[in-house]
Amino acid sequence: MSTIKLALPAGDLRAESGRLLLGAGIDVSEYAEGSRLYHFRLEQPDVRVRVFREKDVPIQIALGNYALGICGGVWIAEAHARYPNDDVVPLRPFGFGVRRVYAAAHGDPAQALRFRPVRIVSEYPNLAERYALAMRFPDYRVMPVHGAAEAYPPEDAEIALLDAADEATVEALGLRPLQRVYEGGAWLVANRRALEGSDLSPLLRPLLAIAPPFRDEPGLSLPSRRNAGASVPRPDNRRDVVRLAVPDGHQQRHAHASLTSAGLTFDGYSDSTWVRRPTSAIDGLEVKVIRPQDMPQQVALGNYDLALTGRDWLADHLYAFPGSPVREAVDLGRSRYSLAAVVPDGLPADTIDGALALWGDREIRVASEYANTADHYARLRRIRRYRVIPINGASEGFVPEDADILIEGTETGTTLRANRLKAIDSFFLSTNCLIRSTRPVEGRRAALIEDIVSRLRAAAVTAPPFQANLQGRVADSGY
Amino acid sequence: MTTGFPAARRCPGMRDLSPADMARFHRIAEAFRGVVGAWGYGEVRTPTIEYLHLFTGAGTLSPQMLGRVYSFLDWDGWSGERVVLRPDATIPAARLYTERFAPGEDVRLSYVQNVFRFADGEDSREDWQCGVERLGAAAPQADLELILLGLAVLRALGLPVPTVRVSHTGVVRALMERAGLDAEEQLALYDRIREGDLEGLAVIEARLPDLPTPLRFLFQTDGDRAYVANVRAALADRVPEALAPLQELTTIAETLSALGEPYRVSMALARNFEYYTGLVFRFDVAETRVGGGGRYDRLLAQVSGHDVPASGFALEVDAIVPLLPVQAEDRGVDFVVRAATLDPALLARAHEVAAALRERGLVVALNGAPKQAAEVIVEGAEQLRLRQAGRESVFSSIEKLADVVIDVDGPDE
Repeated sequence: MSTIKLALPAGDLRAESGRLLLGAGIDVSEYAEGSRLYHFRLEQPDVRVRVFREKDVPIQIALGNYALGICGGVWIAEAHARYPNDDVVPLRPFGFGVRRVYAAAHGDPAQALRFRPVRIVSEYPNLAERYALAMRFPDYRVMPVHGAAEAYPPEDAEIALLDAADEATVEALGLRPLQRVYEGGAWLVANRRALEGSDLSPLLRPLLAIAPPFRDEPGLSLPSRRNAGASVPRPDNRRDVVRLAVPDGHQQRHAHASLTSAGLTFDGYSDSTWVRRPTSAIDGLEVKVIRPQDMPQQVALGNYDLALTGRDWLADHLYAFPGSPVREAVDLGRSRYSLAAVVPDGLPADTIDGALALWGDREIRVASEYANTADHYARLRRIRRYRVIPINGASEGFVPEDADILIEGTETGTTLRANRLKAIDSFFLSTNCLIRSTRPVEGRRAALIEDIVSRLRAAAVTAPPFQANLQGRVADSGY
Repeated sequence: MTTGFPAARRCPGMRDLSPADMARFHRIAEAFRGVVGAWGYGEVRTPTIEYLHLFTGAGTLSPQMLGRVYSFLDWDGWSGERVVLRPDATIPAARLYTERFAPGEDVRLSYVQNVFRFADGEDSREDWQCGVERLGAAAPQADLELILLGLAVLRALGLPVPTVRVSHTGVVRALMERAGLDAEEQLALYDRIREGDLEGLAVIEARLPDLPTPLRFLFQTDGDRAYVANVRAALADRVPEALAPLQELTTIAETLSALGEPYRVSMALARNFEYYTGLVFRFDVAETRVGGGGRYDRLLAQVSGHDVPASGFALEVDAIVPLLPVQAEDRGVDFVVRAATLDPALLARAHEVAAALRERGLVVALNGAPKQAAEVIVEGAEQLRLRQAGRESVFSSIEKLADVVIDVDGPDE
């Protein structure tokens, strides 16, 4: 009997999934809460287990890299919304980890939904597309974000599709729920071809026997109404203020250091804590905390005049949309790391050309959180047949089983070495930076923007220039 | 066909067209262009890529179709605005109309274009259509013109006995509105009826208890102008909103009868009920659907805000190809001309000989293996060797050679 490959979720579903598997007699003690192991093996039955970010599980199942998996049904729905014919077969819900996704607006929804275009922000861009089509909006824009969708309405979006426990939670975020778009918990999923041609029974039998037995869930629920109202232009309420976006997460302490050095301090934004809308003593300056990954698009859209993000995220945005009206204003010089092509340290090659020669003419799988950068890298390195696998974290365990190359940020190489990986092609230096729109600004706003830019320029940390060895746009312009 | 090459992958649902396929494609396209041009339709071509929002409003593409479009973010799609590979040819033509013509201007447009829609497995995802749009012209004269034009194109292609089926969405819509069904309910019920689920009619019958006859009568049968008169007799008193569409159907049916055209009238025909607003029709050849169309008076208002009457049809090239009468598709190469050596003077002379033969209407290739019957070898400025049907002759000039080959293989054949 061959080995069964099982994909399990990290994050919120980890503890419950572990208990469920142990209860079913499948010894996954190495997957217990608090464990940092990304892969391990079981003897009886013969199972190879890999731990992914929950969102990546259906992708790995669809690719056929894993035969069985557990993930939130919302991510299956998100994948099916875009790829209805994928090879992910939902087998049964388990009844835990229930998640609800609501479409919500700020203020009077009837008014907001008449704007043209209707802007929809979500971590679930494919569900947002389905929602927009079901609403029959004559014009709309879906803005995928990496989190904090509730932060965008009303200034930067009309609708947010977001996770919430119930309608009261949505209202507590200052939004009005329009519709519950999805409700469901964790599911057992299988790859269609594995189900058709591989004996999965050693795992299927105990997992399908878990009580309570199969009971379907509400799942996806799309609106049946039609948006027949006349469209109206959106009023511009922001003409007199300058809007600055600052990051949460890993970049927060670096951004805080840059701002403090420039004499810019905001109530509600320290090096480790934040509120969604910090306040500034500078008249006419509005500050908001959003994810750094989402900032280039937000500045391009004109929702923000300035933002502190990473050069890696700006580059990733510009690789996909070279004409986007957003540019680096100041390289702030902190949060310094390289983007590199990473392979297993046992691979007998020390350069990308050497690795490609070893792999021959087969398809090369390039996995990365920076999907556009990975695509750009593969094209510029003239990799003939390749497939980009977008991932959402927990990247260290991807090579060699699930990808050939990882495009990954690396600072000292310690984490790579700990995971028996090596960088063979460092091609981009990322630091934190101030970005701005290329659109002309006049009057008082222009003066304030220039003041902030010059303060941050004076506060930038200078470091030796990085010699990018990736030919083309990266080396030419920094992006 | 096995070629001996290692297989290179082709995207599923995408096809290559061989020279023979292209010859058949051009036969259809040229016949179509010839006929519709003579009827006053000017050819247009719209972009392969359009904004998605052109197709998303109610009354444009059906939700089922929207789920199969090829949409993506273009290189300048940073705002999140998606574009599509053209999934439909009519809506872009309507957009073109709003950019190039005055609201309400009576315009006749035609196109030969491909549309892209996802399909399962190896089913075609790129389909070619020959279509026309009549924009700014009201029913029923414009609809009648389109039906007759479609039949004329199919006859010009030499297809056996094309027929047309006609219907009017207004009849069913009047019934459902009188029964108090909202737009969503109407769509769902109409799809059931069109797919042959006549149990759905009970929903209407339950809400209209004073109907004089079961509605199955309307949907289980079809017929000619007499059938239209019977439907009218059945509905006139109870559903007066159906009278106007039935009058249009009567006009069309009686005119087609007067012209001796083969037609049938039925009550549920349109594939996209949300999109069509009036008369709909489809063309059949040998029981194969080869095209169809109808009136879509609400579309222009969606695209531009102006109410403009419009109707059109499209013929499906892939459906027509297998029905085409057999014809020699590819004449092939009549002669191969080659220089006896790589002497530049001989190479230049070979080109001159080939050009002179082409001027006389022959198909001439340079070099290559002489699979064809005849080969001309340029051995000197004034020495041209002709190998044909196992015989060889030598000529001292292009003119003397041409006189012989024209007599033997000339374009008069």
